[in-house]
Amino acid sequence: MSKDKQKDKAEDKKVFDLIEGLTPIDPKALADFKQEMTQEVIPEIVKVVEERRMLAAESRHWQLKC
Amino acid sequence: MYTWMPLSSRADLAQLPKHISGEYAPEHVAKRLADGMSEAVKGVLIERNYVDKDYRSTYYNFYAKKGQHYRADCVRLHFFDQTVSFDEKALKLGCPDNRLPDHYFGYMVLRPTGIATIGRSIVSPDVRSGASRFIISADHKVHLLGYKLTVQGFPSMDQHIDISVCAHAACWSILRHYSERYSIYREFLTHDITLMAQQFNPGGLVPSKGLEVSHAERVFQEAGTFPVHVARGKSGKDDLSFYRQLIAYVESGFPLFAAMHSRGHAIAVVGYEWRAPVNTGVPGMRYAWDEVRSVAVVDDNHLPYLSIPVSGGAPYCAEDIDAFIVALPEKVFYPADAVDRLAPALFKLGAVVGLPPKDKTIIRYFITTGSALRRFVRDRESEFDPKLIQTIMTLPFAQFVWVVEFSTEAQWAVGQIAARAIVDATASLREVMPLWLFHSRTQALIFDRQTVSLDLQTGMRGLKVSDMGHTAFTRMAQNLRPTQTK
Repeated sequence: MSKDKQKDKAEDKKVFDLIEGLTPIDPKALADFKQEMTQEVIPEIVKVVEERRMLAAESRHWQLKC
Repeated sequence: MYTWMPLSSRADLAQLPKHISGEYAPEHVAKRLADGMSEAVKGVLIERNYVDKDYRSTYYNFYAKKGQHYRADCVRLHFFDQTVSFDEKALKLGCPDNRLPDHYFGYMVLRPTGIATIGRSIVSPDVRSGASRFIISADHKVHLLGYKLTVQGFPSMDQHIDISVCAHAACWSILRHYSERYSIYREFLTHDITLMAQQFNPGGLVPSKGLEVSHAERVFQEAGTFPVHVARGKSGKDDLSFYRQLIAYVESGFPLFAAMHSRGHAIAVVGYEWRAPVNTGVPGMRYAWDEVRSVAVVDDNHLPYLSIPVSGGAPYCAEDIDAFIVALPEKVFYPADAVDRLAPALFKLGAVVGLPPKDKTIIRYFITTGSALRRFVRDRESEFDPKLIQTIMTLPFAQFVWVVEFSTEAQWAVGQIAARAIVDATASLREVMPLWLFHSRTQALIFDRQTVSLDLQTGMRGLKVSDMGHTAFTRMAQNLRPTQTK
């Protein structure tokens, strides 16, 4: 194998191939987290970011002169 | 040209008017210094005919155009400790250990404007009475009599009143810190700030009529930063998420342009102090903001590092701040609001990672760079399982990461944590798993950012790690300079 191909192969390695001792995670252990993120946290993040944007728009006109 | 003024006590500062002419308002300056400097300052070197670039920028563009004659030069006061002496004939400074920079506390420029004469100043927080414990600082080089001195501090100046207001001064302070701290930002002079706030040259006294918050945002955009503007919610002081974000950015080393709407006033927030650790015994998740005792601000009406309490107190308190602008670098896409909501949700992974009980945990979050995180871990190798070190050195972090730390009350009291999550600061709002890494002393979850958003199962792995004989990790606190009160 040429040096270039060897180099490409090394660069193609996934991050998990480079770390020793990794084990798969039981999907059941993630279910609660995934559900909370999709049903509560992400919708709340989207909502609060939009609210902050509106609040920022209002505060942009505050006068500062002390 | 140079006069040495020894101080046996702060009261001796009242002698300043004997050495400096009235156009520099020495009585006012002496009172300000006597009220705010510690007794550790035992010598003041007065440097006359000092050419100050910030004053000159306003002189050329404003003062020189007036009928009243203004001088073109300034006076600069340099502050030293008790070991330093001055030979007026030889114009030499001396100290027994020949380490002059170790005995230097910074300088204050005085402008010949009659009113509001305190110009560009870099004073060490170590000699500011009542300064908070942690202050955002940079090294500022000072050239004096052929000596090359350095002072660590945050820039400050009084507003000019006639051509600039508090908001200009706060913008200038923050941008001067950036130009000294980060090589990618250029230096902006006082007059530059005035021009950057507007789409056109407002000319004359127009800037003294005040700025809107949007003008300050424009200044930071013009300076090449990516300002994020965060305003407090309708619930006012009860919008704790607003204050949690405020302290998170300050802990990240970003000074904040802070507005107080009711006062029409702007300041720069540059530091904080934790309250003394308390064993509350009261269950309930807390955040770093709940542990803050005071916030340090640079206010153009006071000497720098004014310490204001979280609530109550004079002249105002942190809860009076109702909007702030943080001048971020590019590539911080995941906002603090998202981290604030994500952090408590991570307890759903607590069984896998091993977190303290949610109602007994203090959460702290901040931004840092991937390289700063690696440096922190390298400096504390003994705390980490080599497999975890390998992981942190291998993960292809984007330039900036959010760090979320979890600690018990007991760990918080001694500066330790139980677990740490590394969140991708370039993540999108709707990502279910915006993480690089989440680890405790015994278990780690590692995320492949290339695949985790497509398939949680294949983009995530576990790693069992050893506690290496440690009961906790060290809290990552390296962005602010601890004040060494003198």
